[in-house]
Amino acid sequence: MTGEVPVVEVRGLRKTYPGVLAVDDASFTVAPGEILGLVGKNGAGKSTVIKMLAGLVAPDSGEILVDGEPTVLASSHAASVLGISVVHQELALVPRGSVAENVFLGLPYPRRAGLFVDWSELHRRTRTVLERLGLEVDPRVDVQDLSVAQQRMVMIARCLAWDARVVVLDEPTASLTDDEISHLLEVIRQLADAGVAIVYVSHRLEEVLGATDRVVVMRDGSVVADLVTATLTKQTLVAGITGEAKTEESATVHVERTGRPPGAELLRVTGLTRAPALHGVDLTLREGEVLGLAGLVGAGRTELARVLFGVDTPDGGTITVRGKDVVLRSPRAAMRERIALLPEDRRHQGNDTAQSIRKNASLPTLRRYRSAGWLPRPSAAKERAAGEEMVGRLGIKARDTEVAVGTLSGGNQQKVVLAKWLMHGADVFVFDEPTAGIDVEGKADVYGIVGELADQGKAVLFISSDLPELAAVSDRVVVLREGRVVAELTGAQVSESVILHHCYGGEAAVASA
Amino acid sequence: MATGQTDAPAGREPAAVGAAIPTDSGPGSGRSGGREARPPGRHRPGWVALLARGGVLIALILVVAFFGIAKPDSFLTTNNLSAILQQAAAPAILAIGLTVPLALGEFDLSIGSMVGLGGASALALITLHGVAWPVAVLLALGIGLLVGLVNGVFIAYLGASSFVQTLAMGVILLGVEYLFTNQQTLFSGVPQGYKDLGQSKALFDVNIQIWLALLVAVLMYLFLEQTETGRRIYAVGGNPDAARFAGVSVKRLRVLGFVIVAVAAAITGILITAQGGSSQPNAGVPYLLPAYAAAFLGSATFRPGVFNVPGTVVAVLFLGVITTGLQMLQIATAWINIIQGLVLIAAMLISRLERKHT
Repeated sequence: MTGEVPVVEVRGLRKTYPGVLAVDDASFTVAPGEILGLVGKNGAGKSTVIKMLAGLVAPDSGEILVDGEPTVLASSHAASVLGISVVHQELALVPRGSVAENVFLGLPYPRRAGLFVDWSELHRRTRTVLERLGLEVDPRVDVQDLSVAQQRMVMIARCLAWDARVVVLDEPTASLTDDEISHLLEVIRQLADAGVAIVYVSHRLEEVLGATDRVVVMRDGSVVADLVTATLTKQTLVAGITGEAKTEESATVHVERTGRPPGAELLRVTGLTRAPALHGVDLTLREGEVLGLAGLVGAGRTELARVLFGVDTPDGGTITVRGKDVVLRSPRAAMRERIALLPEDRRHQGNDTAQSIRKNASLPTLRRYRSAGWLPRPSAAKERAAGEEMVGRLGIKARDTEVAVGTLSGGNQQKVVLAKWLMHGADVFVFDEPTAGIDVEGKADVYGIVGELADQGKAVLFISSDLPELAAVSDRVVVLREGRVVAELTGAQVSESVILHHCYGGEAAVASA
Repeated sequence: MATGQTDAPAGREPAAVGAAIPTDSGPGSGRSGGREARPPGRHRPGWVALLARGGVLIALILVVAFFGIAKPDSFLTTNNLSAILQQAAAPAILAIGLTVPLALGEFDLSIGSMVGLGGASALALITLHGVAWPVAVLLALGIGLLVGLVNGVFIAYLGASSFVQTLAMGVILLGVEYLFTNQQTLFSGVPQGYKDLGQSKALFDVNIQIWLALLVAVLMYLFLEQTETGRRIYAVGGNPDAARFAGVSVKRLRVLGFVIVAVAAAITGILITAQGGSSQPNAGVPYLLPAYAAAFLGSATFRPGVFNVPGTVVAVLFLGVITTGLQMLQIATAWINIIQGLVLIAAMLISRLERKHT
């Protein structure tokens, strides 16, 4: 397939923001029918390149060629009209709109008498597009009632509706389960076989190696490698991304632990119920323990995390903290019981991105930084001292603590959320997908913190869809399926294949709890 | 083929397909949640930034200078300036109160009627029911407190939309005002003690309303900018979910915001009726929009994009000065309205400009 005229070529793209060189020198091509992987750490410049392709950001210099012709992509509409469609990491859908309305968003609707929307024709056209993707949903259903995987498919359907010749997928598999991922990859391959050029951006290197024809590696704003996928291994890819020749060992998840046995029971959950997601969950969590929580999307993992943090109230069951039954009506109540949550939806629930690191980090514990004990006035100096300690401890890459959180990379934003709870000093930490969309180094830092917390005698409930990560980080793993605990795995059972087996609930899946 | 397509429709704003820009790594990424767009807190005072931050203050100085030159005999006189301040004082208290719910990301359309009810209820209690004036004042303030509580509880705890709730409350309050006054203008039998609340010049020969407005401004500035509660209020306005997940009692703060603005509205109503020694039917509603104008104009100043007390105060003064100044130049009321509207839009655009440059 390579060797044809590239449908898109970028030459020497460069983009600077005040004080930051986002993209230095990016050049690559993508041909019809080709799946091109684009990898690099957060901050390597991938997002900015995607934005330039999407017509959202204008390059300072360099050019974008479509079908060999230099082109100015002045808006995302202009890009779409030229056949370049981007499926962004965050779902850009109208939640209360129907599938059909979302697929044809921005395109003219078919009309009756040139005036009224011809809904049956719109739904028919939508069905045609959905069939190409093997997505069996009613075009009339609201998008908010679909699963995350289906919503992502709707976004891809939108690209097809625009007759996209180039589809850019930014972290398309984030928060999808394994079989949803394999289905998505199949669909992508089919699109490529039909002549669509795909740019596949992902941190999940196994997927990139398995699904792409060619890989472009970006580092520090520049393309540093452009290689045929068949010649690559995970090691060489990691080495290219980090810029260091790292050994195989460092490419896998590694958590340093003292190996102390778990201590007293900190948290016990009995028969926890909340319609429609949780149907009688039982689990215990001990001091110094990392309990992995596995399950497919919809199994009730995030719902459990929310109930444990007092965001939602349960319909039934008990939560026992240090031997005492508690009712958690709000996150405040959970904080009083020394429970902390790193929410899955970091973007909306993590930080006030317009505010500084200092103000975000100190928010849960504002009272501790009073300028005088009796005066409810926060002392900026005290907050800054505490914030700077966290910036150092967590390796947050920022000039100082007054920088707005919105200017940081995803991994560093996650660390600011973590800083809140380290400053708060909880005993029970619930991590909900803490490494989703974070680069290799950021992930290693998160694992380091998890190990450190457990070694200090804290209890960690670690939720992750990344099973190798979950298996490596957890001392013990509980598998949720349809709102119930279906397995508790310890020792040698804590492995990717055993967890997966229980997630899908094969016949041999025996609840050992 | 491509050349034919390059002149595709090109808008400045990203179209729907790219509506949510992923910003996991790009610098200069904006905010995510929240309702009020705010700029990243950078310290880069370029001239555009300085102009925007100090914009309304600079404009205030310029218009004072302009009218001072245009009307040298009458504008820069103590009498005129103190008249401007006195006229601005009661509306300023309302606008400052409004700054709190706006900072929380809420708004309240019932404050105009609350101004009317605050003044009318106090005067009706005094003149029609023989209640002692200090008691009447406390009762009027109590009505404000109650109205704020009802608005806040219905919106924060029962999930009412603030638009419908406060719009409906405004209609209800107007009805309650008419129950008190029977739609009569009340003016006879107003005791001097009550009138003094709006007229006294006992302190340094400066009208008491100006002192009260100054006091409210200082207290509310300290409250919003210097206390833990104020910090939490801005956190809720910035990203309500993140604030809740950090243990902030978002609902309670929302109620507090509605209570503060309703009590401020009651105070404003009392001052207006005390100054005139009378109460006209439906006198409060005209105060609604100027309060919003001042708060929004203020949000373009000092901390662009953020509702803040000093900005609101300067904006009230600015609007007061151009109104009085233009009246002195004998410009028709029609043009004064048009100029005020244009000024508001210009201020918004300047603050947008600054945001784009950060």
